[in-house]
Amino acid sequence: MTSQNPAADHLLPVDPQSGSPLDPRRQPGYYPGFSTLDQRAFWDAATRQTVMDRVEQVPAIRFFDGGEAATMQAICNRILPQDDRDPERRIPVLNYLDNRLYSGMSDGYRYEDMPADGDAFRLGIQAIDEISVHLHAKRFTELEMAQQEEVLETIHDAHPPAGGNIWKRMPVDRFWLLLVQDIAAAYYAHPWSWDEIGFGGPAYPRGYVRLENGKAEPWEKDEQRYEWEPPPGARSGGYRPVGGGRPHHAPPGQSGTH
Amino acid sequence: MREPIFGRFDPPRSSDHLLGPVQRLKTPMRHYRESEEVDVCIVGVGSAGGVLLQRLSRAGLRVVGIESGPFWDVERDWVSDEAGSHKLYWNDLRITAGANPITLGENNSGHGVGGGSVHWAAFAPRFHPSDFHIYELDGVGVDWPFRYDVIRPYYEMLEREMPVAGPARFPWGYPHSYPYGPHPSAGVGDVLIKGCTKLGIPVVAGGPVAILSGSYGDRQHCIYRGFCIQGCKVGAKQSTLYSHVPDAVACGAEIRDRSMAARVNLRPDGLVSGVTYFDAAGNERHQRCKLVVISGYAIETPRLLLNSASPGHEKGLANSSDTVGRYLMVQAGNVILGRFPQLIRLYKGPPAHALTEEFYETDPRRDFARGFAVQTVGPLPIAFAKQMMVAKGAWGWGLRKVMMDYNHWATLGLLGELLPWADNRVTIAEERDGHGLPVAKVTYGLKENDKKLIEFGKRKVMEIMSAAGAEEVVQEARYAHLIGGARMGDDPDTSVVDRFGCSHDIPNLFCCDGSILPTQGSANPGLTIQSLAARTANYIIAQSDRLSQGLRGLPEEPPIRHDLSPPGTYQRGIPRIPWPARQS
Ligand SMILES: Cc1cc2nc3c(=O)[nH]c(=O)nc-3n(C[C@H](O)[C@H](O)[C@H](O)COP(=O)(O)OP(=O)(O)OC[C@H]3O[C@@H](n4cnc5c(N)ncnc54)[C@H](O)[C@@H]3O)c2cc1C
Ligand code: SF4
Repeated sequence: MTSQNPAADHLLPVDPQSGSPLDPRRQPGYYPGFSTLDQRAFWDAATRQTVMDRVEQVPAIRFFDGGEAATMQAICNRILPQDDRDPERRIPVLNYLDNRLYSGMSDGYRYEDMPADGDAFRLGIQAIDEISVHLHAKRFTELEMAQQEEVLETIHDAHPPAGGNIWKRMPVDRFWLLLVQDIAAAYYAHPWSWDEIGFGGPAYPRGYVRLENGKAEPWEKDEQRYEWEPPPGARSGGYRPVGGGRPHHAPPGQSGTH
Repeated sequence: MREPIFGRFDPPRSSDHLLGPVQRLKTPMRHYRESEEVDVCIVGVGSAGGVLLQRLSRAGLRVVGIESGPFWDVERDWVSDEAGSHKLYWNDLRITAGANPITLGENNSGHGVGGGSVHWAAFAPRFHPSDFHIYELDGVGVDWPFRYDVIRPYYEMLEREMPVAGPARFPWGYPHSYPYGPHPSAGVGDVLIKGCTKLGIPVVAGGPVAILSGSYGDRQHCIYRGFCIQGCKVGAKQSTLYSHVPDAVACGAEIRDRSMAARVNLRPDGLVSGVTYFDAAGNERHQRCKLVVISGYAIETPRLLLNSASPGHEKGLANSSDTVGRYLMVQAGNVILGRFPQLIRLYKGPPAHALTEEFYETDPRRDFARGFAVQTVGPLPIAFAKQMMVAKGAWGWGLRKVMMDYNHWATLGLLGELLPWADNRVTIAEERDGHGLPVAKVTYGLKENDKKLIEFGKRKVMEIMSAAGAEEVVQEARYAHLIGGARMGDDPDTSVVDRFGCSHDIPNLFCCDGSILPTQGSANPGLTIQSLAARTANYIIAQSDRLSQGLRGLPEEPPIRHDLSPPGTYQRGIPRIPWPARQS
């Protein structure tokens, strides 16, 4: 799970006070020592099987070809950077994403103006390389971290300076949502990410008893915050609306709630 | 690794069909031959289909339910895991289009016995009396062919059958009281209560939700694990799979699962003769029956009618009015997210546990008709990440950072009434599914009143969130709860089915599910869908002599049949505060 770009491995979040890089951790986040997997004996058998398979049986890359996979890996590294994680504790998001596309697992709908998900990813990779060449005369995998973020930011802002032919076949804002949500869905499906954010994980048949005031169950951990900032030069640390805040209808939410 | 004192929780080795840890399905199920002409064939055993199946079989009719998804063996099939629950949704292709295309997939219908009631959040409020005549009151939308007093006894019945837990005093709409006690509040409910109370807005907590606050028959009470939208393995949250299907099977109904209805067939005399479907092995089969009820959801019901076009019905079955697929509606479902200095841990407790309907009715001081409700929601990490992607534009390091604050955020949902429009509709797309059946295309766009309502509603919820003490408030646009597409009405020129669900065109073809709702107010539709199913079942039973002879049923309100409730539910639970009956 190492990046194609050697420089990117040194791009660590920093301590805002001293500005010095924070060493990669086994478990970033504010709940040190919290482990959902340690609780697996308390889960029901079907859930245990599903989650352990996810952790232990990482699917091979079968949808993307070698070149696509390398670019897609570099894209994943920027959409969901994991430089702050110990290399052996990085979540193989590309494999999960590839598996979804390979097995044709659909979300149950396609926007009329979008190609099928797999084609959208292939076209997107191509467009991202075209933007990279346009801006920096290099392919995406050969760019520095900040340049890679610059490329992706143009898609986030729905203002890509190249790849026009592709964007005619696929609205750029829809591709952005597809890209980010698929990668985020792969990351936040993994128990290591639950430990990072302090989510209790599977809770059947045990359930919760301390519902109010953010209290931890006896097997959960209280929060222990530390300050951190994205690596110097990173552009993804701030927040701005998808579509760059230009007059542009805001994208709808993508998940079911109520 | 620590181990539970009583050992790990593994399902029993027996081959029993398990619905939750304790409930078992009585097997073997009755089986009808295809050559046998059964009384009723129901397409889709979901929210409405499950109730219909139970009522009709209890009344002694021979009923077959054709369901495209699996007959869940809950303890073995479901998981307490967000990504692993993908299979509960309708994942077959649909095309979404229009000025404001709606997100489908996990955002709308279910797949498998229980349908959408498997993954609903189980908010179970009633519609208000005003919802049944908004054209008369406000000059918008359309009036229902009947008023609140017709559905009220069914609300009261279904609230006991599900059953619904809620506050002793529910002050909005037709004030009423819930027989089953409210749930304890959790983090997000506390936020809603605090924000509303600060602003002087009445609010209720602990319900109304179709979730057990105490054990009930062979179903366990809620354990507050927050996975309602992933299917409740506990058996606490109602789905028709738990509340109605077991009784249906015990009464001799047959469910053919993994069977996809392809079209409804006609006899030479123009009456419906049965249903053609693809079984689990992909073989084409035909079930003969005297009457068909389509309960496939607001998208699949119109799709099946349109795909059943035949000579004499070139535009699709029951579509002489060109209304099939039209007047499709959603509700405004914006999610408002607030960050708090203190921890919330929004994943605990059922996502649905507190609400206010204070803004439900038209207010002449506002520049739009109708209104909205405000409800708790509880996104698990993947859903929350997707919300942050939209609401904050987060990605990269920013996404990682805000996700590390997951436990500091609370989430509230707007639920606003959007009006019916003829050009918001389901049509047939060029694409085909695995069986070669054309898939549905859903076209949706907002109109002026809709946009104003959303703008006002979302600001109000943001105000509540801030009043509760949030230091940052963001929101995402969203739509929830598809209904319409085969709406009911008295006029055959502007509606697909009559007030009982019988198609205007063909006397032995019924539709019964969310698709027949003419409007949906600002209440979640599930209770109303299931209540209407009980009523349509009563009608079919009351008129069965005529219907089985191919005659149109008489336009008479059917008698209320408490004797057809699942055993032990009728009159169980005493409302704590009897309200003086108020004018509806
Ligand atoms: C995330 C989420 C949360 C929700 N929360 C709430 C809530 O809190 N309260 C509320 O009231 N509502 C809620 N809803 C909405 C609610 O789930 C639906 O309104 C309701 O289930 C619709 O009922 P139905 O009978 O119309 O369709 P469904 O329950 O979806 O049933 C349709 C069934 O028909 C089957 N089917 C379709 N076509 C065919 C075919 N051709 N052949 C065979 N079978 C077929 C499907 O597989 C399905 O099982 C929620 C929805 C979502 C997505
Ligand atoms: S919170 Fe309660 S109702 Fe919801 S899934 Fe958990 S046990 Fe079931």
